[in-house]
Amino acid sequence: MLSAGDLQAIWLTLKLAGITTLLLMIVAPPLAWWLARSQASIRPLVESLVALPLILPPTVLGFYLLIAFSPDHFLGRWWLTFNEQSLAFSFSGLVIASIIYSLPFVVQPLQSAFVHLDKRYLEVSATLGYGKYERLYKIIFPMLLPSFIIAGALGFAHTIGEFGVVLMIGGNIPGETQVLSIQLFDHVESLQYGQAHQLSLILLAFSISLLVVIYGFLQKRQQRILSA
Amino acid sequence: MLKFDIQKSFVNQQTGSSYRLHFKADINLSGVCAIFGDSGAGKTTLLRCLIGLEACAGEIEFQQQAWLSDKTQTLVPVEKRRIGVVFQEPRLFPHLNVQQNLQLAVNKAVNRLFTIEQLANQLGFSELLTYQTTQLSGGQKQRIAIARALLTAPQLLVMDEPLSSLDQKSKQLLLPFIKEVSQQIPILYITHSEQELFYLSRHMLLINDGVIEAAGEPQQLFLNSDLSLIKLAHQGLILTVSVKHYDHDESLVKGCLDGQNLYISADSAPLHQQLQVKINSRDVIVALQPIQGSSLLNCLSAIVVDVSIDHQKAVILTLQLASQHIYAYITLRSFNTLQLAVGSQVFAHVKTMSIIN
Repeated sequence: MLSAGDLQAIWLTLKLAGITTLLLMIVAPPLAWWLARSQASIRPLVESLVALPLILPPTVLGFYLLIAFSPDHFLGRWWLTFNEQSLAFSFSGLVIASIIYSLPFVVQPLQSAFVHLDKRYLEVSATLGYGKYERLYKIIFPMLLPSFIIAGALGFAHTIGEFGVVLMIGGNIPGETQVLSIQLFDHVESLQYGQAHQLSLILLAFSISLLVVIYGFLQKRQQRILSA
Repeated sequence: MLKFDIQKSFVNQQTGSSYRLHFKADINLSGVCAIFGDSGAGKTTLLRCLIGLEACAGEIEFQQQAWLSDKTQTLVPVEKRRIGVVFQEPRLFPHLNVQQNLQLAVNKAVNRLFTIEQLANQLGFSELLTYQTTQLSGGQKQRIAIARALLTAPQLLVMDEPLSSLDQKSKQLLLPFIKEVSQQIPILYITHSEQELFYLSRHMLLINDGVIEAAGEPQQLFLNSDLSLIKLAHQGLILTVSVKHYDHDESLVKGCLDGQNLYISADSAPLHQQLQVKINSRDVIVALQPIQGSSLLNCLSAIVVDVSIDHQKAVILTLQLASQHIYAYITLRSFNTLQLAVGSQVFAHVKTMSIIN
């Protein structure tokens, strides 16, 4: 059966993915809205930065984050002014890294939904008396719920699968930064193939079930709309 | 009272030429004020500026509230103007059912002029409340869109050709309803249809080429040969006939037009006491004496009050009955043979006419 270490790694991974997704769902919608609507000349640069983790090797991102998190640099030093523990090799550091790393997976589905959003729905919302922000949170975002679910699920799943960045900045501290993918790597390194199989199978089954549930939900909704 | 003086410029990206709209009017709001004009004249842009969906320069004032003023730097946002809007297409939210769509409007209403149940009964969609909007027909959706606009308890209702894509049956239901609502809430109503114009409104704005060409009673504007409207008017005018009797055996309505009898063919007895009838100017035969022994049913005594010769060597006579007018389109030769002039007493024989409500 699963060892206590394995269970701890599973719990830590779910916690990391959960917190990261939650924070991303707060940060990403306004950012995606801005990217979808803004005419500012700085927009392509911001869009590129958001998309960067898609093409950059995770180790490169991890390396720069490791340097930024060190107490020698601004971010690490600023963090230490109100925290005892350094950002590097900490759970908080992992959360920050995961947000950056998974950002494009959450922003892009939302951005695409916002670009294709029919402006006429915004107009109707305004004529019904809903203000600038209220119309987004009360009408438009619920209308685009499937895109939000896809965005959240991709962010969550992608954070669970994170390896390279964690390896660079997290190290391998049980209960703090030893997530599932690292634990699995450890098992393989130490030739414990039985335990590696168990963890791999769990990850595989979990990923498939998550995707099936989500796409199943979306299909039902789509059928309802198409059955008109 | 709605007062506005607004300007908006468009620049054509390809040619670089600019196009300017300038609308200025003081409208005494009661009942339906129709906005009438050709496609592309700027009717929809005018309404969108008044609603606040389109940026423009100038001043807009509604019942002493300034909605837009360049002088005082005022700009009241759309959601604060309390205008109910019915667009050309229904624009219901696809993720909500009918009840939820209507509830969105109720949630924001400052008072209750109508309830969902009441409007559902009146507009006949009570059984559709639990339906997804994607399951509805175009006519059903538009009825719900109208209900939604009313549920916001607006101080002004704005409608942009709300019936243009609907079937005859839906129009028959909605036109009297809109007229009834206009007793409570003033309505600005864009339309292409003369039928809707004459049925609904006592006041109209004629929009032509980016300006308000004229404002006034439709009956008056359609007789004014200085307006762009006259080309359309010359094809035929709409008259109001009061119904006296319906003969089932002959399928004939006996009516009264300015004190003179009029017979109109109709498949069934009219539902209202007043009929809107369109007399095509080419279906009017003008004679100096009543024509005897013919199949013509209708002979109206009239006076020629205006004569205009169009470039095709044809003459358009404006014939006055009492308060209402008809146009007659005759050849120049007939005009000369009959020696007609302004003031001539004639008999207008009407071959056919159509009931439009």
